[in-house]
Amino acid sequence: MTLLSDTRYIFVRYMTKLIRTPILLFFSLFQPLLFLLLFTQLLGRLGNFPGILPPGVGYLEFATAGILMQNAFGSALQSGNSIVADIDSGFLQKMLVTPVSRPAILLGRLSSDAFRVVIQTAIILGLAYALGAYVTTGVIGILLIFFTLAFFGLAWSGISLALGMKTRSSETVFAIGGVITFPLLFLSPALFPISFLPDWVQTVSKFNPVSYAVDASRALMINGYDWATILPAWGVIGLVALITMSATLYQFRKVVS
Amino acid sequence: MSDVISVKNLVEVYSDGTKAVDDISFNVREGEFFGFLGPNGAGKSTTIKILTTLLRKTSGAVEIAGFNLDSAASDIRKIIGVQSQETTVDGDLTGRENIELQGHFHQMKSENIKRRIDELLGLVGLEEAAEKRARNYSGGMKKRLDLATALIHKPKLLFLDEPTTGLDPQSRAAIWGYLQKLNKDEGITIFLTTQYLEEADKLCKRLSIIDSGKIVASGSPTELKREIGADSIRISLENCKKDTSRAKEIIKTMTDVTDIMESEECLTVYAKNAGLLIADIVRALDSSDIRLASVTFSSPSLDDVFMKHTGKRIRTEELVKAPSRMFGGRR
Repeated sequence: MTLLSDTRYIFVRYMTKLIRTPILLFFSLFQPLLFLLLFTQLLGRLGNFPGILPPGVGYLEFATAGILMQNAFGSALQSGNSIVADIDSGFLQKMLVTPVSRPAILLGRLSSDAFRVVIQTAIILGLAYALGAYVTTGVIGILLIFFTLAFFGLAWSGISLALGMKTRSSETVFAIGGVITFPLLFLSPALFPISFLPDWVQTVSKFNPVSYAVDASRALMINGYDWATILPAWGVIGLVALITMSATLYQFRKVVS
Repeated sequence: MSDVISVKNLVEVYSDGTKAVDDISFNVREGEFFGFLGPNGAGKSTTIKILTTLLRKTSGAVEIAGFNLDSAASDIRKIIGVQSQETTVDGDLTGRENIELQGHFHQMKSENIKRRIDELLGLVGLEEAAEKRARNYSGGMKKRLDLATALIHKPKLLFLDEPTTGLDPQSRAAIWGYLQKLNKDEGITIFLTTQYLEEADKLCKRLSIIDSGKIVASGSPTELKREIGADSIRISLENCKKDTSRAKEIIKTMTDVTDIMESEECLTVYAKNAGLLIADIVRALDSSDIRLASVTFSSPSLDDVFMKHTGKRIRTEELVKAPSRMFGGRR
């Protein structure tokens, strides 16, 4: 199958590029790690007040799921930049004059995005573990967390890829990406327990896809296999992915035809 | 010999109404080294983008190696190699990895890729730099690597869009050497665009001169120059504005003068025996109190051919280009 082998070659190209520019990894990990190491310290005493966090849960444990989400956002937004770079340099054009499978160009990019989210998630979970926050569901739970975040990352890559191909400007991708990302993160229970937030934010967060994804990974970290939370979250992420991937596919068709 | 490229009445109109390619027809035979010579914006790159399946034509009929462009684009992609105007190597990959990746895109077997890479590295003289990241290559080395990536699958037909634009004379000469070798030794048909007269003259066995989307002349460089039939004398006057018409009148009456045109240096005179005529011209102008700034003469060049058909000279722009957008941004 040329689709699979071509996807693999393109995946390997992007991973090679990533490994050889470690500064990119550093920058996208910097913010989540700062939150993990510093922010959780600042709010560490939140657990001392009864009724804010679930009983027996420290703030670090609580916030880890939100920080993982923040991380997925960050690397997803860089995806659009990579496609802009390939368009600007002419590399995409160079691929298009070969018989390379067209869908593989997109799949190679997306699979490298997903893989990257998994690696960064593993790094953050490892560090959280060292600081004393465990995933109660164990190895299977960790794999499910990987899946949830990679899936979420893909859905979000779709936004930056579509924007990148539409505007062909990495500045725009970053600007619009930032504008979308932070409000969504703060208007969700990513970093604060839902009961702690003002009423209007609680209402908004019900319509915020980020809330569902955060709740799912948090459930896997703290409560266990809470399928009533996890399955709807995957459904919501799937819906977002459907929309963003349609936009990406639409833009991609325009670029390659 | 059969046609590798056959183009009939090709037209490309951009969405803003610009006619980038205006009803051109030409063909390229197997094994030929064929060129498009023209200034920036003449429609050269647009034509290449259409022929290499990147840009959809507005109308016309195109066949590449017997494959119809509309119905068999994927067959065409298997047999063509393309070097675009921008140098497109991945700086994060080594020279070898860059070529290898293109080999995979052409669905080649790994052992064939390996063997071919060694050949190609030798051809473009990059053996020593092969394991270094392309980011650290000089401009000339990147161009050579780019050429090697376009050759990995032994293409039947090679498209080169201004392969030496922006290079220093030494790198340019090196590239010319490789291209001639490819055409002769590997029998690859080459379609090249250039804005350099010297390049077209030296490399192309046959060429078309293109301006504002139209082909204005076609033939071998020798044929085209013979058509001019005369040497050219370029005259610049101290006061060009004031004296042009008077000078024109004087020169026109001289024997052997076949044509006289206003040009950027002031006047260009075409004549059979330019060397002998120069003295007469100098004398005649001097006695009419028209002061000369300089007089040069040359055998016919492709620039004269271009001048004859378009009324202007090819302006070669040696500018550092901003990375151009993928499809010209004008679609």
